[in-house]
Amino acid sequence: MSHRTAGEDEIDVSTTRKALLWFLWLWIAAVTVIGAGFSPLAQGFAGLQGDSPLSSRIVYFHVPVAIASFIAFVAAGVTSVRYLRRREPRFDRSSRAAIELGLLFGVLATVTGAVWAKVQWGAYWNWDPRQTSIVLALVYYGAYLTLRDAIEDPETRARIAAAYGALGLIVAPFLYFVMPRMASFSLHPKPASAEMASPILGLVLAGTAGQVALFAWIHNLRCRQLALDERRGARPEEDEP
Amino acid sequence: MDPTLPQTSLAFDRLTRGYGRLMVVREASGAVAAGQVLLITGTNGSGKSTLLRCLAGLMAPQAGTIACTVAGRRLDVAARRRAIGYVAPDLGLYPELTCIENLTFFGRLRGLPPARGAALLDRLGLPPKRLAGALSSGMLQRLRWAWALLHRPPILLLDEPLQNLDAPGRRDVLELFEQHLERGLAVVASPDSLELPRVASRLELGR
Amino acid sequence: MSRPVSSWVAETLAILLKEWRGELRTRYALNTVALFAVTTLVVVSINLGPLGVSRAALPVLPVVLWLILLFAASAGLPRSFVHEEEIHTAAALRLAATPSALYCGKMLYNLSLIYLLELLVAPLYLMLLELAVAEPVTFVAALAAGGFGLAAGSTLIAAMVAQARIKATLFAVLAFPVLLPLLVFAVQLTLGAVAGDPKNGLVELLILYDGTLLVAGLMLFPVIWNP
Repeated sequence: MSHRTAGEDEIDVSTTRKALLWFLWLWIAAVTVIGAGFSPLAQGFAGLQGDSPLSSRIVYFHVPVAIASFIAFVAAGVTSVRYLRRREPRFDRSSRAAIELGLLFGVLATVTGAVWAKVQWGAYWNWDPRQTSIVLALVYYGAYLTLRDAIEDPETRARIAAAYGALGLIVAPFLYFVMPRMASFSLHPKPASAEMASPILGLVLAGTAGQVALFAWIHNLRCRQLALDERRGARPEEDEP
Repeated sequence: MDPTLPQTSLAFDRLTRGYGRLMVVREASGAVAAGQVLLITGTNGSGKSTLLRCLAGLMAPQAGTIACTVAGRRLDVAARRRAIGYVAPDLGLYPELTCIENLTFFGRLRGLPPARGAALLDRLGLPPKRLAGALSSGMLQRLRWAWALLHRPPILLLDEPLQNLDAPGRRDVLELFEQHLERGLAVVASPDSLELPRVASRLELGR
Repeated sequence: MSRPVSSWVAETLAILLKEWRGELRTRYALNTVALFAVTTLVVVSINLGPLGVSRAALPVLPVVLWLILLFAASAGLPRSFVHEEEIHTAAALRLAATPSALYCGKMLYNLSLIYLLELLVAPLYLMLLELAVAEPVTFVAALAAGGFGLAAGSTLIAAMVAQARIKATLFAVLAFPVLLPLLVFAVQLTLGAVAGDPKNGLVELLILYDGTLLVAGLMLFPVIWNP
């Protein structure tokens, strides 16, 4: 295919992209504004001092980023397996980008959770089962990035990192689902039994959709950036003068 | 059986492999059949060892293909590894085991009788009960040869195969090498041209 | 290319035998693991022994036992693959051994090393700290199943670490999140064994995690080991 001049075709594509992006920003902004200002207050979140349950409105950010982080880690595990099957560098870039973003969303979930925990439960950190799970996940995927840094050869790095990423897919169910049940009680409400009013649940789901879309958008950008970096790096090194 | 079809052959096409930004082997191609030797020459750092490691399946090439046929059967990379005898300066054997223990261990992995290792050690003048870690560099090179020939591989990949060998050592390994060529093929890498029998093709690496 | 099972077993045993023969000559892992275990054991028993703390600290003791086992093991186990890279025998092994047999051979060697370690540490620990075990069978089951997972996980992580730089530090960083669920289950079971009221399903959970690690090892090892 020859070099294309900037035709209507391309302008159309980028306009669609821009429109989608604006829609995404508006969506997240709407969820935030409605959630923070107008949503009904959740019952049972009166706080230790018996304040009004205003703090519960952080749920529209806290739960969506936590779910986005979980989805990012699962996506990274899946692309790791695909790399091991196909050995195409794009899967390696994709799992690396997903883990970086999973860590970012995971840290946001942890921090917002800690702030909320201070208001609700009186301490930033309680080693609540869900707090334990997310910290373990953060340590696991932080180790993944350390592993990458410690291997020089790109092929070896991609292969071994993919194996560790795939192992994460196997270990994750224990971290996220089995370990939390080990504890006799959890401060976190169980998702199924939580008595959430349907507008609250709806807003949480809308927020989750927004954060996951945000993840997908940044992930796509990061993958393209990594591909550019790799292409620049793959040029044969010039001889020293 | 069609005599024009080679029963055993190794061919590689436009192999490319680098380390990070540095491209070491660039689009190297070659082919060799049973009874023949492919001699690869080139200066230090021209990618001879890297090319051999790719052929051995010890390193994945970034681009290019390797086709390996043994006794009329196409081998995948896992089968190719097991069909190869490999001598290289960075090939280590267990220093805490004796010569015969080293060969017996690898013989067991390959399902060979222990007598095979003893015979090779005798043929190459190696003391069976000496620890591999206590061998001189020339003796270690002989042990590498014994390791490579242990399973009578159809394919020999030799990286600077004569280094550190004295005159009798060279004579011994070259005799074994000629015996090998009656059945199999070999790819030999060396900085300068070697006096080898049955060199059918040459490949000069580097600029 | 399906090789008969008997030759696979022979390969596995050859690797196990080779590891032990080399180990008995150099005694590197044995010395490191034993010295590490005994040193920590002494430190712990001085400070937490009958004279050190009140009996109120009893529930802490099984946790400390597993920490000693974990750290002693992580001082010795990574060597199984790191050593092969250091003496450049990895290439010879890659060309000669079936990957799954290699993983199993190394794993069995690490398993025997851990069971030896537990045989040394556990009785001494119970003696020095005057810790009475209400359910000895459960206690042994916890040690056996926990040790198995420790060996299976460590062998896999050691194979990854061997191909990287900063191997020793990296082993701890990579292995601990993988071994942590195992450790939590094993500690809970040991606590239950000591107190005499183990929770239901813990043994099964521990064995499930062992099996998961072993299967993950068998599946992932070939791609980790071979380019």
